[in-house]
This record gives sequence, structure tokens and C-alpha cells, in this order.
Amino acid sequence: MVSRARTSLRLLCVGLFFCSAALSHEQHADHEASNGSSSKAARGDLGSSATFDPQGTLWAVSKDGGHVVVRRSGDLGRSWSRAGPVNAVPEAVGADGDSRPKVAAGPGGEIYVTWTKPLSKPYTGDIRFSRSVDGGKTFSAPVTVHTDRQEITHRFDAITVNRNGQVFIAWIDKRDQAAAAKAGAAYRGAAVYYAVSDDRGASFRGDFKLGDHSCECCRIALLPRDDGSVLAMWRHVFAPNIRDHAIAQMNPDGRAGTLRRATFDDWRVDVCPHHGPSLAADAAGRLHAVWFTQGSKRAGVFYSRLKDGGVEAQRRVGAETAEHADLAISGQRVAVAWKEFDGERSRLRAMLSEDGGDKWRERQLAATAGASDQPRLLERQGRFYVFWNTRQEPLSVIPLP
Amino acid sequence: MIRVFSRVAAFGFALMFTAFALPAAAAASTYELRPFDARSLNAIREARAGRPFVLAFWSIYCEPCREEMGQWRSIQRKYPDVPILLVSTDPPEERVTVARFLSQYNPGRVETWAFADDFAERVRFAVDRTWRGELPRTYLFDAGHRPEARSGRLDRRWIENWLARQSAIPRR
Repeated sequence: MVSRARTSLRLLCVGLFFCSAALSHEQHADHEASNGSSSKAARGDLGSSATFDPQGTLWAVSKDGGHVVVRRSGDLGRSWSRAGPVNAVPEAVGADGDSRPKVAAGPGGEIYVTWTKPLSKPYTGDIRFSRSVDGGKTFSAPVTVHTDRQEITHRFDAITVNRNGQVFIAWIDKRDQAAAAKAGAAYRGAAVYYAVSDDRGASFRGDFKLGDHSCECCRIALLPRDDGSVLAMWRHVFAPNIRDHAIAQMNPDGRAGTLRRATFDDWRVDVCPHHGPSLAADAAGRLHAVWFTQGSKRAGVFYSRLKDGGVEAQRRVGAETAEHADLAISGQRVAVAWKEFDGERSRLRAMLSEDGGDKWRERQLAATAGASDQPRLLERQGRFYVFWNTRQEPLSVIPLP
Repeated sequence: MIRVFSRVAAFGFALMFTAFALPAAAAASTYELRPFDARSLNAIREARAGRPFVLAFWSIYCEPCREEMGQWRSIQRKYPDVPILLVSTDPPEERVTVARFLSQYNPGRVETWAFADDFAERVRFAVDRTWRGELPRTYLFDAGHRPEARSGRLDRRWIENWLARQSAIPRR
């Protein structure tokens, strides 16, 4: 407790709104921190995701060596308790760059977890899935989601649940590239595939192809729509090597919607950005996104509303070191959070629009003088929260005013 | 006087590095990984004052980086006068995998370094505050240590044109 209090003092908080949130971390009792297995945690163990379940309990997933670890908090991150265990048998768990375990909640309080299990060859992996249908007490033995079992890329898992409770899992897949290579043909990038579960994760239908020619190493953003479909946005490789973003609809029956170009920065490069987009919709159904580019037209992190054939209300997010932005929407209120390094500390910053993305105000939420994960923006009953897993302040939850 | 001393010390340091590095790289089966942190680039520049070098960042998770390993080997053979420093940005806990990767894909007689600071943003900022971590990322430092930077798969024409220019500069 004493050391927890001391580390929380290091959390810089700016603005009266956030002091109360930061100080509340002094009561944050993470009993696991004191009996951690090693004195120096691995950077990969910071890689984490979080979600609210329908009752408002917050669920976080990360990894600890060869184990996927799920924690729950009933008090908005002040205290966490361990659920699970998820995988009784340890296995490799990807949490590098833009890859990390994911968690989603079903309408009946089901907790769904995915991760990428790296295989022995570089860049290969399997998409793994486990669920809890008893409120996190027990998790099912992990299964591999895809039927394709080649030792190739199946990585960068993304998961969401649609309004009917169907579970969608999408991932980056290199089976088409492998087939092309075997035939001596060229193939741009990788592909996006997905699978759907109609029975709360007991089984999956797939592997459905969403689109050819995705970039190889960026997270995929998923957005469930009112009609039961799920929109996916990812970094694509448009010919010849333009790494701008694409968007397409995944239908529950496995039909893929038309692939459309979503961003237009003309980033022509063969590169591994490890810097995927985020996507959300407002009450009017308009799509909003944040993404990173080093294109010839612009370079940095950007926000825009997406429309056919272009973007609107585009603006730069943060200063020159801004990275890993996430966004969430409630009605017409749009929130964007990101981090930027100032030479000494990583600062967690946010901008908020009350009018669907036209006017914004920006503020700083926190800062840390050590390693930190990408921030995650969550929404619950009209309020926004940033989940930020940092070495100094694990599993922080910072509310936006 | 202090400046002269530090130059001499830096040169001695560089010699020491070379003495350690060459046998390891020549064997091509084991690569020593020197720790790279927020102070390293300054130290490298000091040790190489007045001389050009190539600084290339990569990761075991980056596919275009793997394809570059063989290119570095052939570039180094063609332009042996300009040192090539490969820096792995992987987290410190991946050192064993990084070393295995280097042995497997064999970049040849290059210097090999690895991020030694868990706080990767701090290391990147010290190199170039506009670099957001995309890989591969290559910096060409001329004799005056003016850097040229590019992200993405190595552009052979870009680097070879540059190397040809550096090699044309008489060595001290």
C-alpha cells in the first residue's frame, strides 16, 4: 500500500477535474503487485485492453508471461480483482507493437477473450479464444478460432459483439499470400478474415474473407452496427504500396461488404507501422476515425469524419510526438485520447467535441515517467473513461469531465 | 585540452568496440548486442566524430526488416569503409530471440545493438522526435553527422548513392 501511494504521487495530474480521479488511486489495492513473480516486468506485459460489461463492471485483459490474465473492477478502476485463470496451460501470448490480448462482453454478461499465440516461425500465429459464462469465475479451455492451420500469419485479433449477441472475431491472415508464393505469384500484403459465433462463443463459423491486401502489422478497428453487421477499418495496401486505410462490412452470414478506401494520405511505403486506426459512429450514424500516417499529403495522427470518397472535419491530433490515439462517441459527443512524449514523460491527452467533431477542446489527463501501454477510450452511460496501463500506475482509469 | 582528451578517449572506445565486434560478426553465428538507450546516439556520434555511419532500426516483429538483413550484408561488403549499426527496438526481454534472429538472417559484419531501456519513447525521442516507431527506419549520418532519414523497406538506390558519396570523401 505504501509503495502504491508513492507511485500514485508520481502521476502528474493537471486540472482540478482530474486530481480527484488521480488521488483515488491511493486507495487502489492491487494485491498482486506485491507478490509479482519478477522484480522487473516485461514491456509486453503492459499490453492490455478493457471493456465495460452491461452491468458496468470493468474488465481488463493483459498477459503475465505465458498466461492471459483477466481482472475485473466494480469501482471504475480503484480496485481490481483477478478473474480466471484463462489458460491453465501456459502458451506464448502476443503483446508486441500493436498486438495485445482483447476482451469483449456479451449482452448476458459473457466475457470473451482473444489473443494471438505466436508460433515458432517469425510473424506466424494462431488466433486464440476463451470465454467465461459465469461472470469470470471460470474460463473455457482456449481454442483456435480459424480452421486454417498452416504455420503462417493469423495475427492481430480483434473482437466485438453485435446487438444480437453474435461474436465477431477478425484477424490479419496470410493464407492468400502463402498460396500466391507457392504459385510463384506476387501478392500485396496480407488479408483480413473473420469468424462469427451464434452460440456465445461455444463454436465459430468461418473463415470468411473480408478483403485482400491489408497491411501486415496493425490492429483492426471494429464497430457493431444497428443492423447486426460489423464495420471493420484497417490499414490497407492500395496498389502499388499505399498504406492508407480501408473499411468494409462483415455480415453475420459471412458475406463481405464492398471494400472502400477510408483515408487518402498517399503513404507509399513498405513499412511496419504497428499503428492501427480506431472507428466509432455518432447518433446520426456518421462514422468518425482516428489514424496515423506519414503520407505525402500529411504526416501525424489525424481525426476525421469518414464519407464516401473522402474525409471531412479533418484535424491533426496532438503535437509532433502524438501517437496511438483512440476514440469513443456518445450521441454527438466525440472523445479522442492519445499519448505524447515530452522528453521526460509520456503525457496522456484528450480532446472532446460536443457537436459531432466540428469544435474541440483539448486537455491533459495524466503523465508518467516510465513505460506505458496505448491508451483505450471507453464509454459508459454517456461518460468517457481512459484506461491506461502504465508501469508506474497499472490499470489506471481516468474519467473525462 | 579536455576536448582533445575526450576525442582520444572516444577513439579508444571505438577501437575497443571494433575489437570486440569484428570476431563476433565474422563468425556470423553469434551477434553481440550492445545496449542502446537515450544516451547512445550521442556517444556513437562522439566516437565517430568526422566520419559517416549508417544507423538502422529494426525489430523481430517487422517483416520488411527481415528482408533487409541480407541487403545489409551485401552493402557492407561493397562499402566496408562506412560502418553500419543495426539497432533492434525489441523490448529487453526479447534479447535471446533477437540474437537468434540475427544469427539466422545474418546481416554480416555490422554492429548490432538492442534497445536496453524499457521506456521506448525516451529512446526514440533521443534519436528523432518525429519518429513514431514505424520500422524499418534508417538514418544516414554523413561526416558532418547531418542525418537523412527514411522509413520503410530499404531503398537501395538511395543508400548506395549516399554511400558512394561518403566513400569518395578521403579518410583521415
